[in-house]
Amino acid sequence: MAAPAISLLLLFVAVPFLASIGFSLYNVRLGDPRDPSFMGLTQYVRILTDPDVSGQFLDALLHNLIFAAVVVPVQTALALALALLVKKNLPGMGVFRSLYFLPVVFPIALVAIIWRLILARGDQGLLNSALAFFSGGAFGSQDWLGSELTALASVIVLSIWQGCGFQMVILLAALQQVPPELYEAAELDRANGWQRFVHVTLPGVRTTLVFVALYTTILSLRVFDQIYVLAKSGGGLNEDATRTVMYEAVTAAFDENNIGRASAISVVFFLIVVVLSLIQRRVTTEKEG
Amino acid sequence: MTIGTGLSLALLLSACSGDSESSGGEESDGAIEVWAHAGQAAESEALQSLVDEFNSSQEDVTAELTLIPEADYTSTIQSTSAEDLPEVMEMDAPTMASFVYDRKLIPLEDVVSADALDNRIGGVEESGTYNDATYAVGMFDVGLGLWGNKTLLDEAGIEAPTTADEAWTVDEFDTYVAELAEVAPSGKAIDLGEANGFAAEWGTFTTTPDIWSAGGTLMLDGEADGVLNSQENVDALERWASWKEFADPNTSGTAFPDGETALTWTGNWMYPTFSEALGEDLVLMPLPDFGQGTKAGHGSWQWGATPTAEGNTEAAGAFLDFLLSDDSINAMVEANAAVPGSTSALEQSELYGPDKPLELFADNLASACGSEDVTEECIAVARPVTPGYPTVTSAFGSALLAIWGGADVQDELDSAARAIDSDFADNDGYQND
Repeated sequence: MAAPAISLLLLFVAVPFLASIGFSLYNVRLGDPRDPSFMGLTQYVRILTDPDVSGQFLDALLHNLIFAAVVVPVQTALALALALLVKKNLPGMGVFRSLYFLPVVFPIALVAIIWRLILARGDQGLLNSALAFFSGGAFGSQDWLGSELTALASVIVLSIWQGCGFQMVILLAALQQVPPELYEAAELDRANGWQRFVHVTLPGVRTTLVFVALYTTILSLRVFDQIYVLAKSGGGLNEDATRTVMYEAVTAAFDENNIGRASAISVVFFLIVVVLSLIQRRVTTEKEG
Repeated sequence: MTIGTGLSLALLLSACSGDSESSGGEESDGAIEVWAHAGQAAESEALQSLVDEFNSSQEDVTAELTLIPEADYTSTIQSTSAEDLPEVMEMDAPTMASFVYDRKLIPLEDVVSADALDNRIGGVEESGTYNDATYAVGMFDVGLGLWGNKTLLDEAGIEAPTTADEAWTVDEFDTYVAELAEVAPSGKAIDLGEANGFAAEWGTFTTTPDIWSAGGTLMLDGEADGVLNSQENVDALERWASWKEFADPNTSGTAFPDGETALTWTGNWMYPTFSEALGEDLVLMPLPDFGQGTKAGHGSWQWGATPTAEGNTEAAGAFLDFLLSDDSINAMVEANAAVPGSTSALEQSELYGPDKPLELFADNLASACGSEDVTEECIAVARPVTPGYPTVTSAFGSALLAIWGGADVQDELDSAARAIDSDFADNDGYQND
């Protein structure tokens, strides 16, 4: 019975993973017909100790963690707030639900192109001209994507804008499952709005919230597309302030043809992600217990 | 965990390319596949109609054209194994050596007719040669220059140089961009092409003339340390980054043709758009001189045959000969305003030649040289011809993006030089055949 599932898992998870461990020990070049030479642990030593390579790798890891630390709570909270808003039975609510869900339909690469126009440096950027208009010119033009200080924050904002609607829909479904009798009972007990939210709504959608947070964490760890698009196709994104681990792996493999290093990065990152998921699992199961 | 799985699988599939046994070699039914990049619409349309014309002009060979988006073109070729490549493919000039090293190109001396090879202009011949053999033939070569809006230049009282000898010095250029920013409607003097992405190949193509003109270069004898991070290069790129305050980010894509900026720093392929928008107001100038004379890039899209074509080289040769005919070249350069790649087509050109609008580009190419021996006299310089070029341009492009963002030039170039040298050391300097 389990044979098809196991064979697919082997083919798409185990084999590629074992292959990348193998590649990481050799100097494998993309497209090179020569037999790759054995390098041992050189790629790993470089990733962990060489000032250039490891500097970039650790920066990338840090950016992933910052991204996750901000996006997971903010996006989940925002999605819950939106879900509560669009749950109300008002005329025309379908329109709002569709509007909030709309960004999810766009591929993130397209979203990056749109936000590139919003965040463009100089007076032509939509955000800069809007800020200048409302502040009467007091607020000078910022280089949102190019500046070290705002580059990662800009990516975070556009990612939340794109991803929020999806979590909203999942949470909306969960909210609609909370029995109305519980709210009626709470009202009879003279619970105010906040108390109903904390004692009825939150426990009612708890498992869904945990799922949404886990799912967002996984997405934040593999963030790549928007950064690649903004850095490589003229967005002027500050690469040093926003590189992520996936970005490092993909550029090593496909811009520098260095499959060996890309594989080593993937293997190290795999181990880090395993540790993070074990921690997260322990924390969430303890709460449930 | 799914992280990295997709990547690893892609790597698994792509890195398992075996030895280059040609699969379609035996059959000589006359059908060949052709891959090309989908660049500007006019260029792709011109190519498609040339292929149609070739197919209807004779009955022996049928060419089937596949267009691949420009941004993914090089990595597509890179990750396709030699036996899966089409018989004939296009490639950007600086990637040629890397494809030869990967055994994805065959020498063309016995494929293309001797007449067509002899008829090539110097720049095209140089871009197609590696290890003393011809691996690529081009229908055209490119020019990079400074384009001006005459009305705005006149308003600022600045005269435009027309020949390479009269090029502005970089100090004059500094003064003029500041003055032109005052008169330009957008408040910015120039579009330096940052919307094309300095981290991509455009960055290397557009900034190397600055460092060559300053007396520097990218690599010498397979070494980047001490060359790429030389004082000349640091000074030149500091200048380049200092123009950012006068540079229009060109988010609309039409800042210069709309008359919003006074100058733009780009290639011949924009000429049809510019001349239609500005007419008599359009002037073409050499790039600023950093001390060793004005320089410009060259080397463009060119054609080669792969090991798949072995055994059927006549069909590939017939197609390439057709592309290199003056009629085909004329049709193509009408679409992209490039410098015609054959001497006979260049002589008939309406754009290039004495007193014609793009005379400067053809003159630049007449004195072309390689990046290892840049002299004061040579103007058009080719990017380094080495199989390690993908790493060179990737490391240099990342450095450019950071420098444009305000990072320390010396630090960035030092780290790019270390990345390049480490990659060359890993691969024995790309010397093994």
